[in-house]
Amino acid sequence: MEARGAARLRAERRRALLAAAPALGVLTLLFGGALAGAARTSLVPLGGEPTLDAWRALYGDPAFADSVRFTLQVTLLSTLLSCALAMLVALVMRRRSVVVRALLSLPVPVPHLLVAVAAVLWLAPGGLADRALGGLPLTLVRDDLGLGVVLVYVYKETPFLVLLLLAAMGEALAAREEAAAVHGASQWQRLRWVVWPAVRTPLVVGGIVVAAFVLGAFEVPLTIGPSYPPTLSEFALQATQGDLLAGEGVAAATLLLTAVASTLLAILAVRLAKDAAGG
Amino acid sequence: MVETRVQRVLGGLLATAFALPLLVLVVRAFADRWRAPALLPQDWGMRGIELAFSGQAAEAFWTSLLVAVVTTAVALVLGWPAARVLGERRLKRPAIAFLLLAMPLLVPPYATGAGLTEWFLRLGLVDTVSGIVLAHLVGVLPYVVVVLLSAFGPEVTALEEMGRASGLAPLQRWRWVTLPAVAPTLAAAAFLGFLVSWSQYGSSLAVGGGRPMLPVVMLPFVRSDPQVAAALALLFLAPAIAALALTARAARSPL
Repeated sequence: MEARGAARLRAERRRALLAAAPALGVLTLLFGGALAGAARTSLVPLGGEPTLDAWRALYGDPAFADSVRFTLQVTLLSTLLSCALAMLVALVMRRRSVVVRALLSLPVPVPHLLVAVAAVLWLAPGGLADRALGGLPLTLVRDDLGLGVVLVYVYKETPFLVLLLLAAMGEALAAREEAAAVHGASQWQRLRWVVWPAVRTPLVVGGIVVAAFVLGAFEVPLTIGPSYPPTLSEFALQATQGDLLAGEGVAAATLLLTAVASTLLAILAVRLAKDAAGG
Repeated sequence: MVETRVQRVLGGLLATAFALPLLVLVVRAFADRWRAPALLPQDWGMRGIELAFSGQAAEAFWTSLLVAVVTTAVALVLGWPAARVLGERRLKRPAIAFLLLAMPLLVPPYATGAGLTEWFLRLGLVDTVSGIVLAHLVGVLPYVVVVLLSAFGPEVTALEEMGRASGLAPLQRWRWVTLPAVAPTLAAAAFLGFLVSWSQYGSSLAVGGGRPMLPVVMLPFVRSDPQVAAALALLFLAPAIAALALTARAARSPL
């Protein structure tokens, strides 16, 4: 009886695995193939012998070092600002009407490139903001610090984080806050000991997702970022345009590094989300 | 807790701050002449729209649309069974499956696109619609599975059980029980999949460099002719607006 039950369970597991196989198989093939392809391009130049030249070129290139520094700076700034702003907005928005929430979530389905185009129209010299205010206090379009890029990502990712936070701030949380208030907890104490523990994990997981996104920033800096330093993806694009033969290898090596960094972030996010869900 | 007047005004202001910046695209697209320092255009007209719909941009629009529709359809067919077993928690080690779904979402599309090009060059898939569809699938398939899996669970299984008990054949059961039960989530998954493919820049550039796609064609216009860029941007925005309208309607009449 027990043996038959175990056999049935095994058969059921096999069926489940078989059902998931097409999607997971195609993903493994395409994603794994992409990483393997990038590794191959970085090591074997077109019609040549395997060599570490591309990786050496990266290591010795000061422009690459600048690109790494610039990408990390933009990533860190965008992520921290989005998280802080999202937290504030979520606290203000939690009891807002459906219409206000819909307006707020408007940027979520809007492509990044589009936001960058709108940002250039507003913020470029001679743009709308310039005309309305009679001059902007700081340069935001094609500026050396990449503040325009940061602004676009903060605008795009804050609503996404707010939606995550609002989902975590449901009815149950309101009831617990009410209970804490009855026991005499001040507003600050409620925020610190009731609200914060409930939203911490979604905020961190969302922050990691945002960081991984910005790390691969490509069309946004192409539109509104400085021509130097480039983000890592831009650096790769410039490499392919500079030297047609060796450039592909350098580009692949650069992109492989960003892919590895993003993958590590993905592993971190999945682990944190799993722990929060209770195993 | 009663919301105060200050809170209401603050909420409205915040929401407007997020929604307003996109309106400039509409004004810019129809502004034939808009010299500084005027806050409103001197001449309105269709120059931007006409240029946007002529030449390479029009072709790019149709290619982007075709690729997005095909990619979404393929992702739904491949993703449905996987979403089902994940949603019903029937996999032994779901964490591995979720990791496999999360990685392609977070790795830059330009990186995966460039990596695939190495093989696509040999297979003759570079600059073809099929090549671009495969490259987009890397990003679209995970989104479709992750959204669709929330549709499946004990409720759907119970409904199907009732269908079986009342003597419906498997195909009828799928058509009259399963499909209506998961329809809203299926629509959401399809729309998100479409949007992800539609907005794809990096992988389109890497794999389909010689075949114009809407975002790739649009970018250079930001510097050379902002009016055309704004007109193309409106075209580019259309699916997102449709998505918003549909969500608003769905929110008013659940199911």
